[in-house]
Amino acid sequence: MAAVETCGTGAGGTGFMAAATSKNNVTGFQRKGPRAGGTDSSGSRLVSIAGTRPSVRNGQLLVSTGLPALDQLLGGGLAVGTVLLIEEDKYNIYSPLLFKYFLAEGIISRHTLLVASAKEDPADILQELPAPFLDDNCKKEFDEDTCNHKTPEPNIEMKIAWRYQLLPKMEAGPVSSSRFGHYYDVSKRIPQELLEASKWHGFFLPEKLSLSLKVEHCSLTHGYLKLLNFIQSIIYEEGFDGSNPQKKQKNILRIGIQNLGSPLWGDDICCTENCNNSHSLTKFLYVLRGLLRTSLSACVITVPSHLIQNKAVIARVTNLSDTVVGLESFIGSEKETNPLYKDYHGLIHIRQIPRLNNLTCDVSDVKDLGFKLKRKQFTIEH
Amino acid sequence: MLDSLLALRGFVLLRDSVECEGRSLLKALIKKSALCGEQVHILGCEVSEEEFREGFDFDINNRVVYHNLFRDPLNWSKTEEALPGGPLGALRALCRRTHPGPVTIALDSLSWLLLHLPCTTLCQTLHALSHRDFCPDGSSSVEQVCVLGLLHEELHGPGLVGALSSLAQAEVTLSGMLSQTSASIVYRRPRQRPTRQTQCFSILPDFSLNLQGVLPLESQPHPGPPTTQVDPTTHLTFNLRLSKKEKEAKDSLTLPFHFSSEKQQALLCPGPGQATSRIFYEPDAYDDLDQEDPDDDLDI
Repeated sequence: MAAVETCGTGAGGTGFMAAATSKNNVTGFQRKGPRAGGTDSSGSRLVSIAGTRPSVRNGQLLVSTGLPALDQLLGGGLAVGTVLLIEEDKYNIYSPLLFKYFLAEGIISRHTLLVASAKEDPADILQELPAPFLDDNCKKEFDEDTCNHKTPEPNIEMKIAWRYQLLPKMEAGPVSSSRFGHYYDVSKRIPQELLEASKWHGFFLPEKLSLSLKVEHCSLTHGYLKLLNFIQSIIYEEGFDGSNPQKKQKNILRIGIQNLGSPLWGDDICCTENCNNSHSLTKFLYVLRGLLRTSLSACVITVPSHLIQNKAVIARVTNLSDTVVGLESFIGSEKETNPLYKDYHGLIHIRQIPRLNNLTCDVSDVKDLGFKLKRKQFTIEH
Repeated sequence: MLDSLLALRGFVLLRDSVECEGRSLLKALIKKSALCGEQVHILGCEVSEEEFREGFDFDINNRVVYHNLFRDPLNWSKTEEALPGGPLGALRALCRRTHPGPVTIALDSLSWLLLHLPCTTLCQTLHALSHRDFCPDGSSSVEQVCVLGLLHEELHGPGLVGALSSLAQAEVTLSGMLSQTSASIVYRRPRQRPTRQTQCFSILPDFSLNLQGVLPLESQPHPGPPTTQVDPTTHLTFNLRLSKKEKEAKDSLTLPFHFSSEKQQALLCPGPGQATSRIFYEPDAYDDLDQEDPDDDLDI
């Protein structure tokens, strides 16, 4: 598992304890070796990477998905070295939004990005990223949004159950200086200077395929093979797996792959039920996870699972990914007119949460979550 | 609207069935596009060229460029007439054209192409046809290609049709009876909600479109019959509503856990008026004052 202290340093003494020893040492026992502090930030040899934080439960290094509500549902964030699979909604409107939030968060935290798509040019995708809310005018925007609500009832202060007012709400407003998890304004585009200052690699399949028209026969689809080679070369050259010792500061590679499994990637699992290379996507995910586990990277993949005809493939793909989130939009279905759902645009299902170095996983208690796309924001509520 | 389909650049999927054929609509759209002065290329696979050109005027026939795959699809005769490379070669040749200006490409039909090509190759080629961003010479700036594809939806499984629909900017499903045909159009614009429309139309013998009314969207179900609501608050033994005086009295009540300043003072320094509480106890006959031996069985 790509925990920060084991990657690249190879130092011993990795058994960090959850209860860090206090500053004034009461005991006479001294810890031998480098102090590997999980939650203790005074660990001397660890350089903390911007935009990440260790999980409070198991010390795993987490990155934000760009949507703080989703981070909360996933147990704090997306663990480095894992794959988040987003099952697309039917008309592919909301899943690109989550994809863009992930990439925008990478730009703000100054991570390196790798964007792969068979449908759109990665440069175009990056142009359409949402702009972050700046600290000073964020509160104003939020108040503006809440005032548009038609609820006439005032905020009644609780008199009898006053202890409940102190509980944190599901969707808190933007914290002014938070280095983990930012808020984005969907109606605005990210400023150009932020894009230019960021480092990104793009993989656009038609460009790579047009150079070689001959289709080779192998078990993995041609497009997938090229993508895996590309990812591996980037990880190796830029030293995310510790192979080239990085002189400069360690950084996270955020990989985003769009529409994996669609026919544009050369995979026909969406077209027929018994397809020729039905194992292509599953092999791809397996190899990708192997690459991710040995490097400092996190990956978000969107898959049009509503098109996949073979249910066994969907089950295998779910098992091979770490975290799986499904989006179901109400457009065109009978739920659109259901009064229960009238405030929301769709449901979000958390299908799987990984158990990383753990026996249990952090499943949230709330099972029915809906999302809505307001003019500026994408919110998840229950 | 059916007539604005051509203005929508990109890939338009026409789905027809045995009850309602779509070739006449395809020809009507071709005629419209030719009359607008666009270049029209037709890839004919299912019917012969003569049969396809039947019904078109002389000038339209001169304007369209017909690529004939019907006569010799596998290029057995090896003449210049036949298209080299088969269907895939023909499609790729269409991709590579560099003429400026709006182009309409009609594929008749996609079902035939799907039988001869793998689905993924066709999808990738269609995508390349409708988005020509990466032209080698970089001359085509904005995508001005409209690709009309005719698909016989009964020949294919749902997965294939779904995959092609997800690529399309607009999807027209034809249905109808003898007298009236209606087209149900779904516009899928990127990053916007899809819109649905149903329009009745008929095609005149000279292949011009005659649009009739737009049907209202059928996806608005009627609200269920209003059930007689039973009001549960009618026969209650207690009062659910508060009058104003009662509300005021309720608001002014100090709650036990509400720490007001008077209460704080009262607790901190007990005034002379308050007596400290005392317990008065009178021992009963059976009470045992000896705490150590509750059962009285130790014989000391």
